[in-house]
Amino acid sequence: MNYVIGEMRRASTFLTRTLRSRTIKRLTNGGPDSAGETIFALSSGQGKCGVAVIRVSGPASALALRSLTGPRQSFPTPRKAFLRSIIHPHSEEMLDRGLVLWFPGPRSFTGEDCAELHIHGGPAVISGVLEALGSLSSLRPAEAGEFTRRAFHAGKLDLTEVEGLGDLIHAETEAQRRQALRQMAGDLGRLYHDWSQRLTRCLAHVEAFIDFSEDELIEDGVLNQVDESLSQLVREIEGHLSDERKGERLRSGVQVVIAGATNAGKSSLLNLLCQRPAAIVSPVAGTTRDVVETCVDIGGFPILLSDTAGLRDTQDTVEIEGVRRARERVQQADLALVVVDSSKLPRDPRHVAASLGGQLGEVLSGQASQRCLLVLNKSDLLSEEQSRGIQSALRERGDLPQACLLSCHTDSGVNGFLSVLKNSVQILCGDPLVGGPSLTQARHRAHLLECVRSLAQYRQYRDLDLALAAEGVRLALIGLGRITGRVGAEEILDIIFRDFCIGK
Amino acid sequence: MLARRLLIRPHILPFSHSRASSGLTRHKYDVIVVGGGHAGTEAAAAAARVGAETLLITQKIQTIGALSCNPSLGGVGKGQLVREVDALDGLMGRAGDWAGVHFSMLNHSKGPAVWGPRAQLDRRRYREFIQSELLSLPRLTVVEGSVEKMLVSEPHPDKPGKHRVTGVRMAGMDEAILCSSVVLTTGTFLSGSLFMGQTTSPGGRMGDPPSCAGLSHTLREVLGLTVGRLRTGTPPRIVKETVDLSLATVQPPDQRPTPFSYINTRTRCPPEEQLPCYLTHTTPGVERVVRESLHLNCHIQEDAKGPRYCPSIESRVMRFPGRRHQVWLEPEGLTSDLLYPQGLSMTMPPDVQLRLLREIPALRKAEMRTPGYGVQYDFVCPTQLFPSLQLKNTQGLFLAGQINGTTGYEEAAAQGLWAGVNAGRLAASLPLLSLSRTESYIGVLIDDLVSRGVTEPYRMFTSRAEFRTSLRPDNADLRLTPKGFEEAGCVSAERYGEALRVREGLKGGLAALQSVCMSSTRWRERMALTCISETKSAAMSAEDILKYKDISFEMLASAIPEVFSPYLEFAHRLKIEVLYYSHCERQKREMGRIQEEESLLLPQDLDYLSLPASLSQEVREILDRVRPDTLGAATRLPGMTPAAIVHLLNYVTKAPRRGRNADRGSTDSAKTNVEQRNERKRTTNQHSIATVM
Repeated sequence: MNYVIGEMRRASTFLTRTLRSRTIKRLTNGGPDSAGETIFALSSGQGKCGVAVIRVSGPASALALRSLTGPRQSFPTPRKAFLRSIIHPHSEEMLDRGLVLWFPGPRSFTGEDCAELHIHGGPAVISGVLEALGSLSSLRPAEAGEFTRRAFHAGKLDLTEVEGLGDLIHAETEAQRRQALRQMAGDLGRLYHDWSQRLTRCLAHVEAFIDFSEDELIEDGVLNQVDESLSQLVREIEGHLSDERKGERLRSGVQVVIAGATNAGKSSLLNLLCQRPAAIVSPVAGTTRDVVETCVDIGGFPILLSDTAGLRDTQDTVEIEGVRRARERVQQADLALVVVDSSKLPRDPRHVAASLGGQLGEVLSGQASQRCLLVLNKSDLLSEEQSRGIQSALRERGDLPQACLLSCHTDSGVNGFLSVLKNSVQILCGDPLVGGPSLTQARHRAHLLECVRSLAQYRQYRDLDLALAAEGVRLALIGLGRITGRVGAEEILDIIFRDFCIGK
Repeated sequence: MLARRLLIRPHILPFSHSRASSGLTRHKYDVIVVGGGHAGTEAAAAAARVGAETLLITQKIQTIGALSCNPSLGGVGKGQLVREVDALDGLMGRAGDWAGVHFSMLNHSKGPAVWGPRAQLDRRRYREFIQSELLSLPRLTVVEGSVEKMLVSEPHPDKPGKHRVTGVRMAGMDEAILCSSVVLTTGTFLSGSLFMGQTTSPGGRMGDPPSCAGLSHTLREVLGLTVGRLRTGTPPRIVKETVDLSLATVQPPDQRPTPFSYINTRTRCPPEEQLPCYLTHTTPGVERVVRESLHLNCHIQEDAKGPRYCPSIESRVMRFPGRRHQVWLEPEGLTSDLLYPQGLSMTMPPDVQLRLLREIPALRKAEMRTPGYGVQYDFVCPTQLFPSLQLKNTQGLFLAGQINGTTGYEEAAAQGLWAGVNAGRLAASLPLLSLSRTESYIGVLIDDLVSRGVTEPYRMFTSRAEFRTSLRPDNADLRLTPKGFEEAGCVSAERYGEALRVREGLKGGLAALQSVCMSSTRWRERMALTCISETKSAAMSAEDILKYKDISFEMLASAIPEVFSPYLEFAHRLKIEVLYYSHCERQKREMGRIQEEESLLLPQDLDYLSLPASLSQEVREILDRVRPDTLGAATRLPGMTPAAIVHLLNYVTKAPRRGRNADRGSTDSAKTNVEQRNERKRTTNQHSIATVM
């Protein structure tokens, strides 16, 4: 049962506590079903798991369960596991065979109707099922912490249990943010942002036509241009959705980045971890100028390891770009290995911790929430006394991350470091939100579908009722905004006043 | 049949008599309203309606209800505000129906949610109506004079705020007038300066003496409020007979005028007596005159950081050169010999203004009666207000209108009404109320002001309302009138009864529409319809049929009179309800979520910097600076994180139990207030207000 970790562990704790807790004051007006929308998410981790759990919550849960198990199968009895074929509701292709469970509200984790699908843990199966759920118009991927928040609103959590909820949501938001950064860094990000800008402009022009065309000089031609732009946009998004090549290679696995000052031994550490000379190592500072990526297996978990350019102020344009990429990679990583040249630490042990803290802040650009390990390299250059001084300094300072003193040159301390690293990776892999590109991709897909569906409303009402048509564009922008960031009323007005001469 | 009659009162009091009849009758009032513009008149009337003994102080009774700028009311977005003010029993809608001389429903082809009822007004009739209404209202006294000073004392200890207002002192009077609340609606008179050409003079409106120097001092120095500066302007007025109207395009009014007010079925001006508007355009010559005279134009030169839109012809020409700009020539009234050139607000010297006008063919021989001018004035940054429009730091002091950084009659009236309601409630020790952005444009307006502040004069647009398809001009009575009667107490029983009758009628009509179901073939036969596809096999309800573009309720009623004719009165509204029904149902969920968050009040004395919850320093500082009133307002702040919201949620749901002082500055027991309000929010079915039916 090692797949029941991470979110599931939290969930089960919540469940047992919920059973203990007594009646709780409800915050919602209409009880559980007032939340309305039905959400889904992968709630198990990745890596070495045989089984993945996908959870659905909301009024359309029963519909989702029926759509994915086929109409001919009997509907599962509440709270009992049934073996079913999982079928894509549109292509009717069989995706997997797995266990399904049905928890009718209010006796469920969120208080709403809930369903669980226990399927095989392969990335292809998981993304297939997530995509199938996202293709149902009444479902959407859950936002960070949404399951727990619903449980809270339904009075399923005691107020004291909620103390931890904020932190949980914080962690989930951070994980999603990093994941999104990875997806958005490349061509895909540019594509989405371009769509978002075009859609925003279209909405601004429709809004301008509604609010100002009777008083100001805004020609009917504006709407024709919007029609054309939106049709083009829909064609592009649909084309993207049906593109089997998916555009970009998915970077699966836990992302670990090696970062630090120049010549601290980052590339030596990479070579040591992948046991081959993947990166060029030289005593010249600034040898590594681009990100060097390699896949390694640590304790059975897939790791995408990146070596980055050393961080220093430089005039060299190539190196400046390398440093920029290094910083970007640190922000996107699940775990940062911050390498420090221990021979350059202050001789006085009392100043060691402060020096390490400073270097850490420099590497992480002040992002305190980033998970990281400190690697103090070149221990072979230290005297016995210095080593002891550093180790005692580390023990005394509790606010520093876990640190390992080692030498890539002599291999001393490397075994200890490997077991620390393995532990960290194991914890990360148990978290369902870490390193799951298929999850992010399913989320993007669902939001893009929502966007396309909403734009159909624009076309449907374009000549009947412009207010309802505009509503379609607003909804489409909200859908796309869940990927690229929210666009508010003020931004729309900015475009209106920039593009049109609007009087008092 | 109560409301079927025209509720326009024919009696107009002679001014001499009315002025004599006013005068101070006591030394203590519940509410004192300072200023007799659109905000002030609505505030005074609303305070009196909720039962407060009210005093309105204005410089000149004669200018009460004056339209200082354009002679028109309503429009897209603004029309919704007029409807909402009317639904809460305000004056503006009925005054518009009384004074309108040219009615048109803007956006008629774009869908009922964004229709904009608008009228050109007769200035004199508008003033007459407002003055007659105010001077005949029970509990309202009107006096002429200017307020020299506001009396401020120590705050009530168990309510938030650093000061408390206790009354005002008027110029030339020894004795102060005491009160429980003051509503300030001083418009552009707060440190106002007038600009024309290279000359500037103190004042808030041409022809009126400058005032409010003492108030300005109190607001800045005594109460320590943050103020900003905004600008506005007005065009020259043109003598009608000097204009060659044959060179302009005639814009006729609607043949059937639509009244603003829910209780009027027709307008005072009969359809055939309405006046037209005229449309003309600027020429390259206009642009040349603007450019040549820039060095003579102080108002424009001081334009360090102007608004994003183009309030004057100068800014239009500078920002969008080489274009033809529209100029509307609007009538000023039935008997007025003037035209108002909408789009030609300008501040250059008068001789240059005349030169500019004459560059437009229709105005080649035009004469000006009065030149255009600019006004710069102070406004109080509205983030310092509660959603009740009471100042956060001063108990009993309410602000409404341009003093809060808005522009427009409708925006002013909407705030005035709401400030008046709450000022009256405060005097009666009743809890203060706010309107949600999910139920009204007034709610959107106030929420935008108090939670985001302004950087340019704030004007209402429909694009600001996220629930635009639910907040329609046709249903403001269903959204607001019951709440106005049951909760706020500012609506008469008569109007309330009418709103309930309409609600029941619409409910019945909808039920009837849903009850009739036939196959599409039967519908085609019965109604002689060709628009329904033959291939449609499933049974269709009359509701489905009414959704078709070319089907009206009247057609259904003549086909099946036994079912539908009782609802003919609501034909027009039923058609709209049916069109929007499913969309509004979908919006209700999101509205419910927002209302839930807005019903959770954040205590005003919360020390965010040391709150025992894991909030980042950044989030703490944002919260400390803005001090949002509700969790909903906090959620909309830029820079807030989902995690921070959950921590706050957690905190506020515990707050009443901890016995925190979370007062809105209204009742004796703050705790009870929050609990009462949260309780009420939970128990009322708000959806029925938001989108009834």
